[in-house]
Amino acid sequence: MIQDIGEALVQSWRNFASAFVLFVPRLVAATIILAGGFLIAAVARQAVRRVLAWAHFDRLSLRTGASEMLRVAELPTAEVLVAKIVFWIVWIGFIVSAVDTLQFTPFQGLVGEFYRFVPRFILALLVLALGFLVGNFLWRATLLASVNAGLPGARLLSGALRVLVIAIGAVMALEQLGLATGVALTAFAITFGALMLGLAIAFGLGGRDAAKQLIEQQMHANKQRNADAAPHL
Amino acid sequence: MAVAESRTTGSQNPADDEGTLSDALLRQLMAVGQVDVLVGLPTLNNAATVIDVVRAIHVCFTRDFPRLRTVLINADGGSTDGTPEIVRAASFTDAEVVQTSYSLRTLHRVVAPYHGMPGKHAALRTVFAAGELARASVIVVLDPAGPATTAQRVTELIEPIAQSSVEFLAPRYRRHPRDGVLITQLVRPLTRALYGVGLDEPLGAEFACSGRFASHCLEQAIWDREAARFAIDLWLRMEAVAEGFSIGQIWRPLTLTTGARTTVREAVHQVVVSAIESLRSHDVFWLRAGSVAELCCWGSDPVAIPEGPTWDYQALAQQARHDIVEIKELLGTVLEPELLARLLDANDGASPMPDDELWVQIVYAFAAATRQGRAGVDHLADMFTPAYMWRAAAFMSQTARESPAAVQARLNSLCETFERLKPELVAAWSAGE
Repeated sequence: MIQDIGEALVQSWRNFASAFVLFVPRLVAATIILAGGFLIAAVARQAVRRVLAWAHFDRLSLRTGASEMLRVAELPTAEVLVAKIVFWIVWIGFIVSAVDTLQFTPFQGLVGEFYRFVPRFILALLVLALGFLVGNFLWRATLLASVNAGLPGARLLSGALRVLVIAIGAVMALEQLGLATGVALTAFAITFGALMLGLAIAFGLGGRDAAKQLIEQQMHANKQRNADAAPHL
Repeated sequence: MAVAESRTTGSQNPADDEGTLSDALLRQLMAVGQVDVLVGLPTLNNAATVIDVVRAIHVCFTRDFPRLRTVLINADGGSTDGTPEIVRAASFTDAEVVQTSYSLRTLHRVVAPYHGMPGKHAALRTVFAAGELARASVIVVLDPAGPATTAQRVTELIEPIAQSSVEFLAPRYRRHPRDGVLITQLVRPLTRALYGVGLDEPLGAEFACSGRFASHCLEQAIWDREAARFAIDLWLRMEAVAEGFSIGQIWRPLTLTTGARTTVREAVHQVVVSAIESLRSHDVFWLRAGSVAELCCWGSDPVAIPEGPTWDYQALAQQARHDIVEIKELLGTVLEPELLARLLDANDGASPMPDDELWVQIVYAFAAATRQGRAGVDHLADMFTPAYMWRAAAFMSQTARESPAAVQARLNSLCETFERLKPELVAAWSAGE
């Protein structure tokens, strides 16, 4: 009996020792991957910042209104943000590789999943960024055009357009990521449809007189606006 | 008298006259040969007034310059009211009856419709290219809508270029100091402070220049740019200043502006686009330009100040109040928060508060924003319009009961403020490189 217990303990110890001997090199390798990955990610972050600075990325973000939006959201500048995103993608890539090196059964295949996810993630970010850029450009153009045309509610109109375009961008980005695709699309379709229906009913039935008055005022204002430059030149 | 019709064609190389001018026009110019004086008449639906201008030119040629070789080029932008036909068929019988002298040379007249990008710049390019080909030493461009264009007025434009070293002659008008607010509040003080030149009317339609200056302009890259549609008058003057051509001014009768179909928003937009184009083109010069130099002046000062303008500046103030609040968020991308707050304060209330320093800082902030690429030029021009409307309304409100002398003193003070704050723009512009 005591001999059996002793053998079991010895066998257990031998198993542990052999597993430990097998695990330590993997742990060391994972640690090296983590440390090296961190360094590479930091270098990549610096490189991206310098390339973006050289390419005057700040001007582009200023011009498109992205800088202003980031400032309002208390986020870092666009240059820093892009560099951070690159850092985390690279760094997470190395973390996943390190975990895979440890060969834990639950995490097996993680690297493959990650590398399949990264392109989709980058594409989603690009779609989102494009949504912001287009949304901001349209917001600015619509606001200025509406104010110049003397339309009432210029801010509301341009703001709504911006929200709509950014929302479309966000839904497209979520679709790229494959996250809650059905929910996002359905919610968007219901909201957009309800909004348009509401506007149509409000303007077509409830606001018929107001619309008529608005158009008449607009025509009158346009007449007044004509021929008013002479005293300025 | 040579009368023919031809078309200009677009050219990728502005210096290439043969590409700028159509074959038909080239043939006509070759028939004309070398000339001393070329008068250009850009037209677009000017049938009502053009005949008097053409007759004035003819009388000028025959009476005052009978020994010079002269040509009139009518560059028409596609008139639908028969303007080119009127120019081509103009009879000079009446004019000739009252003259005692006759030209010793053939008088040439060329009608040359242009069909490139619409705008005065295309007409001027045709006129300059024709002047270069005909080796004209004096080129005069007249306003076809000028009801006060007489032979004497045409002669006055030709003589300084022909007889002195001046190479660009800009018009100068005797205005009421409250008239031409866009000129007095923006264009004049801005060009004066930045370029260091006391030019009264940077946007005047008429001018005279030497053939050398015209050839120089043809070599520049302005002609194919979209901004040239509006920018050409201001650009020509600033190019003359920046490139060291001798420039002068000449008193001309003040004519009612022909921009009656233009709204104030369109006018401000066009002027701002012009100013930005010039600032970008000549920044090497104006960043280093020193104190203001006054210019030689020809002609006789009408002395008498016309009546002041009467327009509804309170409606403009109301519009400015509304628009500035509407685009407050956008203005925040160009103006510093403190500057924006001051603008909102000055614009608040029943009557807008004039503030020279605030106005100049706003103008300079917009100029710097173009350099820093904070928005496209068109958007910046649109964003600037409400700020101008505030300033124009404030100025008109402030000077409503003041004498012309007192208003003039305010204009001079504004020019000084533009000059005093110039280093701020220079620093911001240089930082934006």
